[in-house]
Amino acid sequence: MADNLLAIEDLHVEVEGKEIIRGLNLSLDKGEIHAIMGPNGSGKSTLAYVLTGRPGYEVTAGKVFYKGEDVLDLAPDERAKRGIFLAFQYPTEVPGVSVVNFMRTAYNAIHSDAQKSAMAFRMYLQEKIDLLEIPSELVDRYVNQGFSGGEKKRNEVLQMAVLEPELAIMDETDSGLDIDALRHVSEGVNKLAGPDVGIMLITHYQRLLNYIRPDKVHVLMQGQIVTSGGFELAERLEAEGYAQVGEEFGLSQEALAELKQKEKE
Amino acid sequence: MTDGYLTKAAAQRLADDLGEPGWLAERRTEAFDLYEKLDYPDPKGEEWRYTNVRGFDFERFSSPVPGGAAPLLPDDLAAKGVIFEDFRTAAAEHPELLKEHFFTDVPVDEHKFTALHAAFHSDDILVYVPRGVEVTMPLEVARRVSSGGSIFPHTSIVVEAQAALTFVDRFGSEDFPDPSLCASVVEIQAGRGGMVNYISLQDWGRTVSHFQTQRFTGGRDSTVRSLAVNLGSSFARTQVESVLKGEGAFSEMLGLYFADSDQHFAQRTLQFHDGPHGTSDLLYKGALKERSRSEYSGLIKVAKGAQGTDAYQANRNLLLSDESLAHSIPQLEIEANEVRCTHGATVSPVEEEHLFYLMSRGIDRVTAQKLVVFGFFRDVLDRIRVPGVRDDLSDAISAKVEGDKRLEVAV
Repeated sequence: MADNLLAIEDLHVEVEGKEIIRGLNLSLDKGEIHAIMGPNGSGKSTLAYVLTGRPGYEVTAGKVFYKGEDVLDLAPDERAKRGIFLAFQYPTEVPGVSVVNFMRTAYNAIHSDAQKSAMAFRMYLQEKIDLLEIPSELVDRYVNQGFSGGEKKRNEVLQMAVLEPELAIMDETDSGLDIDALRHVSEGVNKLAGPDVGIMLITHYQRLLNYIRPDKVHVLMQGQIVTSGGFELAERLEAEGYAQVGEEFGLSQEALAELKQKEKE
Repeated sequence: MTDGYLTKAAAQRLADDLGEPGWLAERRTEAFDLYEKLDYPDPKGEEWRYTNVRGFDFERFSSPVPGGAAPLLPDDLAAKGVIFEDFRTAAAEHPELLKEHFFTDVPVDEHKFTALHAAFHSDDILVYVPRGVEVTMPLEVARRVSSGGSIFPHTSIVVEAQAALTFVDRFGSEDFPDPSLCASVVEIQAGRGGMVNYISLQDWGRTVSHFQTQRFTGGRDSTVRSLAVNLGSSFARTQVESVLKGEGAFSEMLGLYFADSDQHFAQRTLQFHDGPHGTSDLLYKGALKERSRSEYSGLIKVAKGAQGTDAYQANRNLLLSDESLAHSIPQLEIEANEVRCTHGATVSPVEEEHLFYLMSRGIDRVTAQKLVVFGFFRDVLDRIRVPGVRDDLSDAISAKVEGDKRLEVAV
């Protein structure tokens, strides 16, 4: 276990007294891309937030090891310094703070022993901008303020490129994007994928996985991983729907009825 | 009561010590009588709402000891006829100018604090910029007070037609063992096409109470800019009034305040459009932490003849704690019919969600708060035209946010 980049063991998480994650087990290694697929309300975003230490998410049981270290007691910034990164589903606006200033502050916090001056950082940032083919004017604007949905997601990928995390969790990075924006964002993620980083792609839909090929696909329902497989599992989910798969893996009748209702909608 | 305190005898002695001419000395004793007669400002009235100074104890403070450093004017400006001197010198060298401009815009009996100010004014400054002269470097004065003492600085500035001046008034001290008082009055006139930028920086120690009244009168096509900063003191009330008298006058009014612990800041502003086609643009922004309080009350007043007025007023408050409190009261009083007036007020807490986003990038909590606070103040800071002042404020804002860290460790 200690060899895994990320190892989640029997994790239980409550939000406002309600159990959302109910005994989740998962391991992920460097160089791998894992997709976490699940219907709305299955606990996907909760998983992303609990891994990054968002306040309000209470771990009632279980452990999360990152490079062998239990990270659940660490503050969000401490986890980031160790190499954990979250691409937000809904990135927050920070009025009055430019992207470049924000990213340099973050870069220097994480690389406190190799801080970059404003000039040096600007050059480093430009390399990443060129790599991801992002319009450079984006970084002189205030963080996410007035950004389109696509710009927000590309800005998240740019941050990932700049901070060079070892574990990148991407929470519904495909949501709200048109096909062009989805292609751009996916190309960016593919450029950043490689042997030095483990990527967890959280998504509802298969379409993202047409652009970013996962090594493994996990199905998250009712706060548990109910099954895992390869890309064919994603295809099956798309074709048959979550309810069908859920039935097979022993989801309660109540939960299934709820799922079916959602799928109809 | 001993003579060292704020008594009529002390006011007379102050005039004697300064060797003031009869007319100036008489004003002191007259003002003292007014001060005694005047009641405390009514906390139910709009101007002093939420700011109850009833029972404010004036008898604690010893009377002012004048002795501020003499203003230094570069030779080249003196040669151009610029005057920058204390009242003692002005009374001897330019009595007519002083008579004409001292306490002409702010009435002595406006309230108890202005009357007391008129009785004890000290460390006063007169600045005069003749027609067409542009003073490129800012002129500055620093005000000081002692523990248990008082200071009543008066700043009179006259900028003639087509002339320009930037003036920085600094009020600062350490934290004293005993309470101290500052009551300041600022009167500024800009002539036709004149430009004046007045900045007051209040960073007193925590035992000082600060009262200030600033009044600007802008002539035709004049540009009057002001920045009022409150960072220090235990209690500060700043009243800033801009009278757009001449046609086409422009007034920019900026305010920046950042309160912590039990500090209480009150800001009152007036944009008085008395002439036609004037433009006023007001932005007051404040951050509050711990148990601090702020009030902002701003009036846009448009006189009957002031057609074509364009007035803008915004007050924004950022709360960094659950215990802090900000009140904001915008008011309009419009008698003209062709006007455009916009006003808005907001009070918003720092969102945990914002801090989490920043922290998820490796930024510690205090630095994340700093980013949010600087982002909040960004548009005010960007409009400050004196780089030194901008730097000083940035340092002060950083220190204020970091105070949180020390507190958390202590608790």
